[in-house]
Amino acid sequence: MKLERAATMLPAHGWQLLPLRFHRIDPGSLVLTNLVGEHVFVTPDELSTVVDGTCADQELLARLRAAHLIQVPGETLPAELLAIKLRTRMRRLQDSTGLHIFVVTLRCEHTCRYCQVSRQAAAKSEFDMTEEAARRALELAFRSPSPQLKIELQGGEPLLNFPLVRWIVAEASRMNKEYGKDLEFVIATNLALLDEEILDFCAKEQIHISTSLDGPQDLHNSNRRRPGRDSWQQAVAGIRRVQDRLGTDRVSALMTTTDASLSRAAEIIDTYAELGLRGVFLRPISPYGFALRRRGGANYDVDRWLEFYEAGLGQIVELNRQGVPMVEIYASIIAKKILTNADPCYVDLTSPAGIGIGALVYNYDGEIYASDEGRMLAEMGDRTFRLGNVHDSSYADVMLSDSLLNPLTESITLSAPMCTTCAFEPYCGADPVFHHATMGDFTGHKALSAFCRRNMGVFTLLLRKMRDDPYFCDLMRRWTQ
Amino acid sequence: MLKLTGRADTSGLTEPVADDVWRVCLPDAPGTADSRVGAEDPDGSLACLLRDGQTAPPGYGLYLKTGDEAVMAGPLGPGLSGMPGSVLRLGPDLAHLEAGDIIHVPEDGRRVTVLWKNSARHNGLLLTEQCDNYCLMCSQPPKDREDSWLFDRARKVISLLPEGARAISLTGGEPTLHADALIGLLEHCKLVAPGLSVHLLSNGRRFADPEFTRRYAAVGLADIMAGIPVYAPEPGLHDFIVQAAGAFDETIHGILNLASLGQAVEIRVVVQRHTVPVLAGLATFIARNLPFVAQVALMGLEMTGLARPNSSLVWADPADYQGELAEAVDILTTAGITTRIYNHQLCVLDRRLWSYAVRSISDWKNDYLDICRSCSVRDACGGVFTTSGNRLSQYLRPVS
Repeated sequence: MKLERAATMLPAHGWQLLPLRFHRIDPGSLVLTNLVGEHVFVTPDELSTVVDGTCADQELLARLRAAHLIQVPGETLPAELLAIKLRTRMRRLQDSTGLHIFVVTLRCEHTCRYCQVSRQAAAKSEFDMTEEAARRALELAFRSPSPQLKIELQGGEPLLNFPLVRWIVAEASRMNKEYGKDLEFVIATNLALLDEEILDFCAKEQIHISTSLDGPQDLHNSNRRRPGRDSWQQAVAGIRRVQDRLGTDRVSALMTTTDASLSRAAEIIDTYAELGLRGVFLRPISPYGFALRRRGGANYDVDRWLEFYEAGLGQIVELNRQGVPMVEIYASIIAKKILTNADPCYVDLTSPAGIGIGALVYNYDGEIYASDEGRMLAEMGDRTFRLGNVHDSSYADVMLSDSLLNPLTESITLSAPMCTTCAFEPYCGADPVFHHATMGDFTGHKALSAFCRRNMGVFTLLLRKMRDDPYFCDLMRRWTQ
Repeated sequence: MLKLTGRADTSGLTEPVADDVWRVCLPDAPGTADSRVGAEDPDGSLACLLRDGQTAPPGYGLYLKTGDEAVMAGPLGPGLSGMPGSVLRLGPDLAHLEAGDIIHVPEDGRRVTVLWKNSARHNGLLLTEQCDNYCLMCSQPPKDREDSWLFDRARKVISLLPEGARAISLTGGEPTLHADALIGLLEHCKLVAPGLSVHLLSNGRRFADPEFTRRYAAVGLADIMAGIPVYAPEPGLHDFIVQAAGAFDETIHGILNLASLGQAVEIRVVVQRHTVPVLAGLATFIARNLPFVAQVALMGLEMTGLARPNSSLVWADPADYQGELAEAVDILTTAGITTRIYNHQLCVLDRRLWSYAVRSISDWKNDYLDICRSCSVRDACGGVFTTSGNRLSQYLRPVS
């Protein structure tokens, strides 16, 4: 043998650190991450010896070297590969704004406790978007460089202004003959107004339905009020109709978490499973709109939500073990960030933030907002995230406005105080709207930030489970697909 | 198992064999000399294969006789007199020869070697025995001697390839050590067999040179893939396994250079004692750093060549590493990377992995054991390497 094994091992002090960050995930264990989120679990003692150059554990050194956390002085390959991976992760930025949200009406026949926008009696058509406003909004939307364009039609209850929904779908499809984008439509509806005509239309245009389902009947109906107290029955019947008519993959549901949800994670998930829904998004309640001001169930703290999240995730894993495939969507977004070089561009967990460049919102009155939450703030009188109006703003006006660029640049995690040193930075994101709403500052004070506390809790939980449970680790890998 | 070499009875030779590489044709297809081979192509030589009772048409440089008449003793036995040219009588080992096969015949005609078996799933051409790696488990140990005749022979084989030839492996040694000869051979391929699927087995180090990679890509073959081994996710272990300091760095740079020019790359991982503990780490490395590769092949050991003297260093029983193998497959496939398992008998492969298993052992070196007779999945299984001798898994058994 020409080359002995020992000759290819790292001698003491024979390595240098690449940019790395660490976080304690339980008393005896740290996670180390590199620039793009590759990670290795170590003990505090192991980290000390790696940092001071005395580590003699060749197996550990090899793993750190493979994960581009350390390198041998003079070698260039690790930095080249890191650069390629970082570039891959950032590539999405050149294809900005894939999601365009049209508030086709502010009217709604529901009066949900947590509703984030002011609801209006269902007859007042001055709260409907006009065709002219929609046409101008589409012209702006098609200016986006993104080769994919998702047009989400929401409200209020968009089916109350179904003629405009039809018009937008037809007009966008017509315009797309010129642009050739990968065009997709979503209707966000409570399904109470679903009828055969609408189903026919959705079938013909291959429209995806997104609806709201808070869990079991009593919980859902106490949150989501409508005349007849039958919101849950309407939603469940609607989901089944869409599944039968359009296919099971064409309808998804979102839940809103309230105080009353927190003790009922497993029941909520079972409700989804019984309906054959494959994904649950265990969401925190947002601090906007009416939910912030009224008894909307927002007064629970982050730690109680994390317990709820852990219980819900546990139930989803259990279902998978039993052979019922189900995804927790927040975990699946984070799985992609932990395990791949892709950024799934989830607008609430990406950096630079998803406002404007990930999503644009066209309100019923033609006002343009950087996010749906930004629109809610405006309904409460804070127009910080208003980017313009479809009737008098050009694409450049909107995308280069200070209202967009200032919060974007001030919140980038690679430069935000406390984010730069956080091991979870590659997994996390910037939420200038949240921090503005809760702290009056786009960056926010991370030590006091509920966004930060919540997400760090989720990352810690997911990493701990991945380390301890091979089945969960495998599930997370499958969720990246 | 097919025998690829066999003795020939040379009593029917009228003169020394005129050429060393011949394509086998049948007498009943006079136009067999297809458009690819002819006067304009000096590399081309056609040998006419005669079975019992067939009469020899004139015009061929060499006649091959198989069957009972061929094995009858005695010089110029029945059927050999009055032949229009030199005749070689082939023994039963080479009775499998058929039209489209390509053979090597030395000047004295005593030993016939099959270079291209038209009906085989795999055909490989050895281009050199020289190599700048010295892998612990190498099945084809490098020899440091002048062997440029191998490239010349390969060129003739490619010229003679039958019309329907689909795929070829170019192997070594390390073919890229002879940059000009290799580029020339690939250009020749493009000229005479542009539709051929070419699989170049290389350690990838030469591709770290951007100029060489540029020349390789510039040949412009429609279907070529470089199969490049990576044995560990970091240089320390990889360089030890290939016995060459700096190899990992060059190999990965080579793969990146190939990818940047749109060239297809396959990563080949030999599963052996040193690579088993890092299989998951290697899969993760590939998924994160080289996710663009066309496929990853996870390959069982062929216990021949250097793997024999190094047996205690490299041998790992497949039955003992199924967990590691399954995890690597999961990591790669969930990252969207096409993954195949080569050289593993189904009876020692986790059933979950069967769908990734490929019957990869070449026809001329695979076999089945006595215990395989009652196996229900024998036909789907690649069997074992005859070259591995007795060094096989302890856990081989018929699957019911």
